[in-house]
Amino acid sequence: MFSKILRYGTIVAAIAGIYLMVQALQAQAKNQPVLGGDPPVMPPAKPFKQSVAATGILEALSENVAIGVPLPGLVTEVLVKVNDRVEKDQPLLKLDDRDLEADKLSNQAQQQISRAQITVSEAQLAKLESQLQRLSAVTDRRAVSQDELENSRQDVAVSKAQLVAAKAQLTVSENALKRINLLIERLTIRAPRVGTIIQVNVRAGEYAATSPKTPAMILGETDKLQVRADIDEQNATRIRAGQAAFAYLKGDPTITFPLEFVRIEPYVIPKVSLTGSSTERVDTRVLQIIYSLTRPTDPPLYVGQQVDVFIEAPDRHKKQ
Amino acid sequence: MIGLALKMLFGDTAKYLMLVFGIFFATFLILQQLAIFCGLMLWTTSTLKNVNAPIYVVDPQVSQVNETTPMRDTDVARVRSVSNVRWAMPLFNGIQRVKLDNGAFKIIQLAGIDSASLAGAPATLVEGKLEDLRLPNTVIIDKLAVNFLSSDPDKPIKVGDQFEINDIEARVVGIAESMRSFTGGPYVWTTYERALQYAPPQRKMLSAVIAAPMPGVTLEAAAAEIEKQTGLRAYVNRDFSFDAPDDFNTMTVFWFVKNTSIPISFGTTVIVGLIVGIAISCQTFYAFVLDNLKHLGALKAMGMSNFRLSMMLVIQSMTVGLVGFGIGLLATAGFTFTAIKNGAPFFMPTIIPFAVFAAIQLICLFAATLGIIRLSLYEPAAVFRT
Repeated sequence: MFSKILRYGTIVAAIAGIYLMVQALQAQAKNQPVLGGDPPVMPPAKPFKQSVAATGILEALSENVAIGVPLPGLVTEVLVKVNDRVEKDQPLLKLDDRDLEADKLSNQAQQQISRAQITVSEAQLAKLESQLQRLSAVTDRRAVSQDELENSRQDVAVSKAQLVAAKAQLTVSENALKRINLLIERLTIRAPRVGTIIQVNVRAGEYAATSPKTPAMILGETDKLQVRADIDEQNATRIRAGQAAFAYLKGDPTITFPLEFVRIEPYVIPKVSLTGSSTERVDTRVLQIIYSLTRPTDPPLYVGQQVDVFIEAPDRHKKQ
Repeated sequence: MIGLALKMLFGDTAKYLMLVFGIFFATFLILQQLAIFCGLMLWTTSTLKNVNAPIYVVDPQVSQVNETTPMRDTDVARVRSVSNVRWAMPLFNGIQRVKLDNGAFKIIQLAGIDSASLAGAPATLVEGKLEDLRLPNTVIIDKLAVNFLSSDPDKPIKVGDQFEINDIEARVVGIAESMRSFTGGPYVWTTYERALQYAPPQRKMLSAVIAAPMPGVTLEAAAAEIEKQTGLRAYVNRDFSFDAPDDFNTMTVFWFVKNTSIPISFGTTVIVGLIVGIAISCQTFYAFVLDNLKHLGALKAMGMSNFRLSMMLVIQSMTVGLVGFGIGLLATAGFTFTAIKNGAPFFMPTIIPFAVFAAIQLICLFAATLGIIRLSLYEPAAVFRT
């Protein structure tokens, strides 16, 4: 009886083993990670059959102007805001001009002195002239000596010269004032051309240096944008002027816009790393190509955004 | 004849159990060791499973996925410029240190994926949203990290918790299913740009470029085209296969087989299992034949042919093999379920049970052959002598 149970028990266990192993293999297969499939956000489809890919950055057309200051100094007033449209020569910011204003005050006092001096000289001249007139009017030669008359004439001449000198003095201080005014005028920074303020990096009370790391303001044309595309030097030989290109906004590959070829920068430069580490050594150089595009109203594009660029270019034909 | 053979086999319960136990032991030992070996080897390719991409482009010097020779950032654009490539994205992949609340350090496998397309993101999220990875200082961890990175075993890491990778804050926004890594560290996904912040700066940081072929182009053709155009090494990411020198899984497993003693260790155990199986079953079966020699001799004297008697022995030994193998499968299945539950290195390719079944049946046939030789030497007249 017992051996019968054992006998059938082993057979039942063996059948159960086969069944459970099949189950285990199925459970294991279910537990394996799923491979393949597309990325969560599908990257942009390539617009061309054969193309060179590049990374690019959006810039204002005709490059961005980093506004500089003529002298290092304190900023007293910032007259524009970011996104303001400015005309040529519109004031942008003012630097501290109190030292020049002080010079102006003493200069103005100097002018008053000079003017007073002229008045004095004029009065003196008038007095001497009337003296000379009175002496000349005397007809009796015995009453007025020849010597006295001559002295009086010389006095008038001296006094005339003094008046000219006093007037010259006034002109000097007037010109000095004009100079100071020009210097003061120089401390108001004006827009060199029509454009839009893209960035303002100084606020009233801050110090503006003549060679800062970040410019005080950036002025640019934002209606028309340009794309600066970096192409690895190994792909540079596939690039020709006038090749068609499309750009895709980084972060949203569904947004695409056609580009218009402007020029190829003739100088191949070291790649500026997008990781931004200053200690990074340059190990590759890139050819830069400039494309222009009209700024679409929707979606909005911003200067400085990164884009992926595809340029139609035939495959390199390698000699085998 | 079959009935008679089985009756004879089951007649001696102790010998029968001994025979079955020998086969069971050999089956279990071989199956379980082979599966653990396969599981370990599979773990070495876990990056390829967890960072989901059809093609991996790496430096020509790289011979397996856990080894990284960084490339230049512009190599992404070069791979993208190849006509047969549908898309190409950067990947950072490396071991980093994590500091826990209590000051302890743990290692993780950090994967930096492209922030726009999220190519290489985990396939299955248990919790959280993949898109949250675009928020500042965020990471997605795997299920292993939930307990592994927690300083208090009672408080596993949840979505919203924080830890530090190389002194930089990392906030958890998702928990993903993943395969464990060979190094033991959990997988942590973040964006490529942030991975560069987390990792100590190096001259070049790009570990690999992941890519996909254009529709209608096979993986192998696209990989070959990438290699031709860029001079980099492009591997496909299918699955382990013996004749796929372009498959990264295969190359990684072969690297570990060649450069570590793991296969020697497991191979020895499998051989021991085989020897034990052969020794026990042959010895016991031979003793069984000797015991029943009288009955067999009587059958022979009654005129049963040698061939029919041999068939009886073969049926007996194969029955033992089948039952023992079945019980071995029962134990292995139990082991498999436990391993799946606990995330142990265990993977049973479907071919292995069949191969082991064939091996066990061969052992049994060998044992039967010994018995057959003994039987054929036996004179039927000897039955009457005693």
